[in-house]
Amino acid sequence: MLFNTIDFAIFLPVAVICYYLIPFKFRWILLLSASYYFYMSWKAEYIVLIILSTLVDYFSGIMMAKVPDRRSRLPWLILSLVTNLGLLFTFKYFNFATENLNLLFHRIGLSAGIPISHLLLPVGISFYTFQTLSYSIDVYFGKQEAEKHLGYFALYVSFFPQLVAGPIERYSRLAPQLREKHSLTSDNLANGLRLILYGLFIKMVIADNVSGIVDQVYANPEHFGSIDILKGVLLYSFQIYSDFYGYSTIAIGSALLMGVRIMDNFKTPYLAKNISEFWQRWHISLSTWFRDYLYFPLGGNRVSKQRWVFNIMIVFLVSGLWHGASWTFLIWGVLFGVLYILERVVNSAFNLQKVYSSWSAGHILLAIKTFILVTLLWVFFRSQGADQAIRIFRLMLSPGVAGSQSLVIPLSTWIFLLTFISSDLVLYNKRFDTWIGGMPYLFRWLVYGVLLFGIIIFAGVENFPFIYFQF
Amino acid sequence: MGRKGYTYLAVRILSLAVLLLVMNLLYKQLFYERDLQKYSPIINLVRDVPLDANIIYMGESSNNTARQDDRDKRKISDFIGDYYPGLDLYDLTKPAAHAEIFKVLLEHMPRESEVKTVIVTLTLRSFNAQWIHSTLETSLQKSLVLLRPYPPLVDRFLLSFKAYDIKTDVEREKEFMSQWVQDQLKFPYEFQFKDVKKWDHWMAYTGIRDSSGEIDQARTELACHYIKAYGFQIDTLTNPRIKDFNGIVDLARERGWNLVFNLMAENTEKAGQLVGDDLLYLMNQNRELLLDYYRSKGVVVVDNLSVVEDQQFIDQDWTTEHYGEKGRKIIAKNVARALRAWYGDEYVDVGY
Repeated sequence: MLFNTIDFAIFLPVAVICYYLIPFKFRWILLLSASYYFYMSWKAEYIVLIILSTLVDYFSGIMMAKVPDRRSRLPWLILSLVTNLGLLFTFKYFNFATENLNLLFHRIGLSAGIPISHLLLPVGISFYTFQTLSYSIDVYFGKQEAEKHLGYFALYVSFFPQLVAGPIERYSRLAPQLREKHSLTSDNLANGLRLILYGLFIKMVIADNVSGIVDQVYANPEHFGSIDILKGVLLYSFQIYSDFYGYSTIAIGSALLMGVRIMDNFKTPYLAKNISEFWQRWHISLSTWFRDYLYFPLGGNRVSKQRWVFNIMIVFLVSGLWHGASWTFLIWGVLFGVLYILERVVNSAFNLQKVYSSWSAGHILLAIKTFILVTLLWVFFRSQGADQAIRIFRLMLSPGVAGSQSLVIPLSTWIFLLTFISSDLVLYNKRFDTWIGGMPYLFRWLVYGVLLFGIIIFAGVENFPFIYFQF
Repeated sequence: MGRKGYTYLAVRILSLAVLLLVMNLLYKQLFYERDLQKYSPIINLVRDVPLDANIIYMGESSNNTARQDDRDKRKISDFIGDYYPGLDLYDLTKPAAHAEIFKVLLEHMPRESEVKTVIVTLTLRSFNAQWIHSTLETSLQKSLVLLRPYPPLVDRFLLSFKAYDIKTDVEREKEFMSQWVQDQLKFPYEFQFKDVKKWDHWMAYTGIRDSSGEIDQARTELACHYIKAYGFQIDTLTNPRIKDFNGIVDLARERGWNLVFNLMAENTEKAGQLVGDDLLYLMNQNRELLLDYYRSKGVVVVDNLSVVEDQQFIDQDWTTEHYGEKGRKIIAKNVARALRAWYGDEYVDVGY
């Protein structure tokens, strides 16, 4: 069930109304049932994987809580890690591994013939496994008490607004809110609806209108001239942002309708001054996950320079791999790591680390620089293979080469993009719901009108699923 | 919630209502027609029908597909028109259309239209699982959303929020394949296959032998197609085509139209040659069911199921309702004769 479908438009209000109507002690049952139904509407049998992950982590947590020292807890942590990472490997990375092993054996003159799997990648598997892993790791380190109520734990793993594409929540943040008795407040209702409206607008009007254009370029880059390729690459930058930002915003808004505050996942990332800041503003829940559960355990920056470089590269490499099982994602991660380190080195060498105030010329120039770098790296993220990415770069850098086709971008698409960019500028370090909530009544309703009108009239009508669902 | 709360809520609901009304008006005036042309150009078929037309013929590719060597390549509907030179007969032909499409198009016939008689193509094959779950269905369903009987803004909302049957080709394939297993075939005698899948598998593995005793691959594959195309028994309670044809019957009653269902010819000759009497039994059983079911509802059903000989079917390697000139003329003649019930005075025997 996608957020931008009539099914969800019916499902969400029904779930919210029932949530407030039934007695508090039954709410977790309702939410858990709704969450499982939400997930099963995509592929019912894969609910087994969520249940398996839930049960293993629940019992691992319980068992870890029973023993005092880490050494005794370790087997249970390993069980949790093996189960969740095993699920991820089986469903997401198995084919990547076998294909490359087969290729490797073939290169050295052997025939491994490891068969590939025909299992479909379960929606959201990278998200819920990481979410539940964070719980196990926290319990192992004694930062989190083990949950004794299986129902609440299952709900933490599967809470439907953020089940299939995040934000990846921590137990300490989400679980207490799921246990809390929320009353319907006009603030939560208004802010939730505002976020849903804005999220739908940027997904359905921006991302979905741009998607078809980008697909044309990436399907047959050879057919287009350098300027058109450049436009396609630029548009993808906006597509992936609006697609994922839109999804996260709807998720946050939907949860807020039930009084649950999910963490922000985006904070105008294309206005970041450098790569480091970009990752503090883009997919924040994943960046912080990697920071807390990979970067810090590796030693963070309190290590030698060489070790720090190693740590950074590991984090970005794993981040690339998290996004998808292909060499393009790995290259994308590695390049981000290299850029991150280079920026640090250059900033340090030329003393460029001074803080520019918001909207100063320095900020604007650095934001443009960061945006260009990120946009170029998205080419690897979007391409079918490394060869295609290189082909796109080559075509893009061959000015004057005319394509057999020209890319048609309707005027309306430019207008939507400009609207989106403007709104991002306005919302720098702000959230849409609080910003619009502070505006005069008439202006507010004018904005609602424009968003609603845009969603209904100008939504892309092709069936473009959310990009991050595939991760 | 106190008075203040109710006022707060009332003002917002009112604001939303005003907003939606204004939006509907704006959409209708500025964008609706553009969207219709972009997403539902099928509406133009109805718009093209002159208001003073007397008879309309709802057809799919069977109406306008002709053989290269046909002397007269005109449509079945044109041939019917030849029998009634004094009447204006107009066709609405949409390839791959089925009862639901016909129903939606008929719902959009203007009230002021002078149409008195509607002839609707009734294709037996369209009742099978593979057609019901056809991969064309997603785009066909999408093209109907803006034609739903709601205010334009609501229709566009439903289109934007994908309120139609969206499925991938793989999902659709799964659906008809599972129906081939679920639907149990019932014969009044002992028959070795309980469902289409088993029957199809048996045919695929056993094969049809040529004169030298070798498996004739092409004829075997065709026999399998025939089993999958006609190996079904219509359930009037669950088959979606029945529901849509019933909708057409209700609409005709409401609008005062004479209704004719033109049961199209299928290649029964080849079905018998390739698969045998068991398949013919099912085809005839379905024919009888459709004739009885719709005649009991007051519809004139023209039975053309077996009137076209094998050689008149254009596609010899597939199951279609595409006929050569002679075949189209036979069907037209039978329909034209049925129309004499209302237009006896206008009938001219053109001798086809």
